[in-house]
Amino acid sequence: MDSPTIQPIPRYLQQSHERIFENNRKWVASKREADPAFFEKLSAGQTPEYLYIGCSDSRVPANEIMGLDAGEVFVHRNIANLVPNTDLNVMSVINYAVRHLHVKHIVVCGHYNCGGVKAALTPADMGILNPWLRNIRDVYRLHEKELDGIEDKDAKYNRLIELNTIESCRNIMKTAAVQQSYQKNQYPIVHGWVFDLHDGLLKDLKFDFEETLEGIMKIYQLE
Amino acid sequence: MKQHVPPVDQIERILQGNKAHARRTLEADPEFFKGYADKQRPGVLWIGCADSRVPETTISDSKPGEIFVHRNIANVVNTDEVGANSVLDFAVGNVKVQKIVVCGHTNCGGAAAALGDANLGPNLNKWIEPLRELRKSHQGELDKLKTDYLRGLRVVELNVQRSVKNVKANATVQQAMKGRGLTVHGFVYDIPTGELRALDTAE
Repeated sequence: MDSPTIQPIPRYLQQSHERIFENNRKWVASKREADPAFFEKLSAGQTPEYLYIGCSDSRVPANEIMGLDAGEVFVHRNIANLVPNTDLNVMSVINYAVRHLHVKHIVVCGHYNCGGVKAALTPADMGILNPWLRNIRDVYRLHEKELDGIEDKDAKYNRLIELNTIESCRNIMKTAAVQQSYQKNQYPIVHGWVFDLHDGLLKDLKFDFEETLEGIMKIYQLE
Repeated sequence: MKQHVPPVDQIERILQGNKAHARRTLEADPEFFKGYADKQRPGVLWIGCADSRVPETTISDSKPGEIFVHRNIANVVNTDEVGANSVLDFAVGNVKVQKIVVCGHTNCGGAAAALGDANLGPNLNKWIEPLRELRKSHQGELDKLKTDYLRGLRVVELNVQRSVKNVKANATVQQAMKGRGLTVHGFVYDIPTGELRALDTAE
C-alpha cells in the first residue's frame, strides 16, 4: 500500500471514514434502546418478504425510500437496475431470493435522472460499460417507434427509464425460478416502480403482472 | 414452506412507508429535494451482501446521497465479471467516489454454504465457487476452529480480502488510487452486535 505515488489521504476523507463507524455505533445504541433483543432476533436468520433490484445511485437507498428496517428486504443494486439474461450476478440473487428465501414480491425500482440510462443515450465509448449499457440501447430498439415519437428530450429520457424498468421485470419473469415458484405458490409477484428524486416519491408503473407473465410464457416457458 | 400471505397489504405498506419517508425528509429539511435530482456526490462506493440484515445506509446511519451501492450474493467481486466491474468503472470513473468499501458480514448464508459442497444448482454453485476455493485452500486453518460459525466467519474475512484484491485489479480503480488518492477498505459487519469493524486488507 505504501507506494510513493499514492498521495496522503486528505484529512476530511479520513474523517468521513471514521464517521461511518461513529454513526454505526450511534445506530446500534438507538436500536438497542428501542428493542434490546433487536440484534438477537436478526442473528437467528433472515426472512425478508421482498427482493429489491434497484440502481447503485446513492440517492436511491432501498430501505430508506421504502420505510423498511434491517431484515425486511433482500437487495441487489447495479448500474441502471438491469437484469441481463446471462448475468450470473443478478441471476444468483434472484435464484437465492426465490428458491431459498421464498420472497413474496420482487420490486424493480428505476429512478428518473438515472446516469446509466443517460450514458446509454450518449454516443460515447465507455469501455467496460459498453456491453452493460448496450442492454439499455436494446430497450430503446424494442420501443423505437414510441421513443422516436417523443419530441421533448426529457420526456423521452424519462420514458426510456420506465421502459427499462419494465424490461427488467420481464427478464425476471423469464427465469425458471420465478415461473416455477409462481406456478406452485402464486408468488413472487413482480412490480415495476420508478423513484422520483424531485419529491422522494415512488411511482408504481402498474403493469398487469398476470397478463405480462402469460404473454411471456408463450415463448419463454421453462417450467 | 411459508404460508401464502395476501400480497396487496405488503406492497401497500411500502408505498405508505415511502410517503412517510418523503414527508419526514421534508419536515427535517424543507429544501432537501432542491437540487437533489441534478447530481449525486457520494464519497463512498459500498460493495456488500444482498442480505436483508445489512442495509448499508441504515447501519452506517448515513443520509441518502452519501453511498453508491452494489450488493450481490456474498459481496463477491471477480475480475472477469461485467456487472460488478461496470459498477466500479461508473463509481470511480464517472461519479468519482473517494473510498471503496467491501463489506462482508457474520452469519453469511453464502459462506455457510461454501463450508460444504451441497449442490445449489448451476447458478449459485458457480457464483460461490470462489468461496469454496478459499475454504479448500485454507482447510488446515479452518479445521482448527471450533464451530461452523467461526469457520464461516473466517471464510467471510478471506472473501472480503479476495474481493478487495480484485477491486484493486480494476484499471480504473488503479488509476484513481495513483492519481487522486482513492482508497479501498475491507469491513466485516457483526450481526449479533450490529457493529462494523475494519479488516486489515493492506498487502
